[in-house]
Amino acid sequence: MSDASGTTRSEPVEAETPQAHPGRRDRAAYEEVARALLERPLPPDYRAEWARHFAAEKPIDTGVEVELASAVIFRIGEEWLALSTAVFREAAEPRPVHSLPHRRNGIVRGIVNVRGELLVCISFATLLGIDKNADAERGDRSLHFERMVVIGRANGRIAFSVHEVHGIHRYESRALTPVPGTVGHARAFTKAMLSWQGRTVGLLDETRLLDAVDRNIA
Amino acid sequence: MLFLMFRLGQDRYVLDVEQVEEVLPFLEPTILPGAPHGVVGAINYRGTPVPLLDLSLLALGRPSAAVISTRVILVRYPIEGGETRRLGLVAERVIQTLSRDAADFVPSGVDAGMPAYLGPVASDAEGLIQLVRAEALLPPELREILFRQLAVAS
Repeated sequence: MSDASGTTRSEPVEAETPQAHPGRRDRAAYEEVARALLERPLPPDYRAEWARHFAAEKPIDTGVEVELASAVIFRIGEEWLALSTAVFREAAEPRPVHSLPHRRNGIVRGIVNVRGELLVCISFATLLGIDKNADAERGDRSLHFERMVVIGRANGRIAFSVHEVHGIHRYESRALTPVPGTVGHARAFTKAMLSWQGRTVGLLDETRLLDAVDRNIA
Repeated sequence: MLFLMFRLGQDRYVLDVEQVEEVLPFLEPTILPGAPHGVVGAINYRGTPVPLLDLSLLALGRPSAAVISTRVILVRYPIEGGETRRLGLVAERVIQTLSRDAADFVPSGVDAGMPAYLGPVASDAEGLIQLVRAEALLPPELREILFRQLAVAS
């Protein structure tokens, strides 16, 4: 990791010099990073693992169109949830929420400024009935990963904070499993279960969810 | 024309991509006992044995470095009757392709004493790039041994 720290250290020095060729300098920096990545030693079992991979028959294209869908996976409290990328707009840095007078109840937390746009910030945990003790408002052990997430449809967008955003996960539509009866209150908004990294994640029903948000805000 | 670049030591070499089937990670070969110099074993590619030749070992006498950028170039090696067989080439820093006109490659002027697989050279700001002809990589006797050995094994 000495290469990585070296790169970080050199940045402030470069910033002081006049930027005669910013594009060229960036390119050199990228090349340096790429080289460090490419010239790193092979991880243990790398060669054996790839040997096993290529020894297997190449998956035959059956001609059947595999229906792929994608969802953003994020965490609120102890709960990992997935939401279709179709309604996902942005994962921004955490920012202050300005409370609204006379709106102390319900799911509305206030107003946030996301890149100049004022959005209603809601408490997703309250809406879904997720464990309040681990709610974003109360603070959490992993504040570093906290994000302000923006979702919405054409007619409006809302923001809410999450404890962590994993990223986009692509899955085959047929790999989804039905929701068990024990998912609790969030069940009303969960349309299917998704297998991800050995866990089962609830895939939220974006239409019902946004309809419920609209009802609560109005 | 598009070429795939690799390095032997500090020098740059290219293969015509028409001869390249796939670029694989540096996977672990099965050792072929008594294999000739330069042959580091055979790999199981989708159920078919493919001989693996280490270009650094062949040209420089040392094996290719075990780093991520060292990769296996799977080339279509022409054999008699217009058929091709796959041949794996271990090479260092297989991280770039090069788009050059075929006419940019000119004879290096040193033909005698050069290994047969080295073809003409092209130049750019960094120096010379040597074209490697995949079909000339194996001396006839080595080719005979290699493909016969694998045919028996399979």
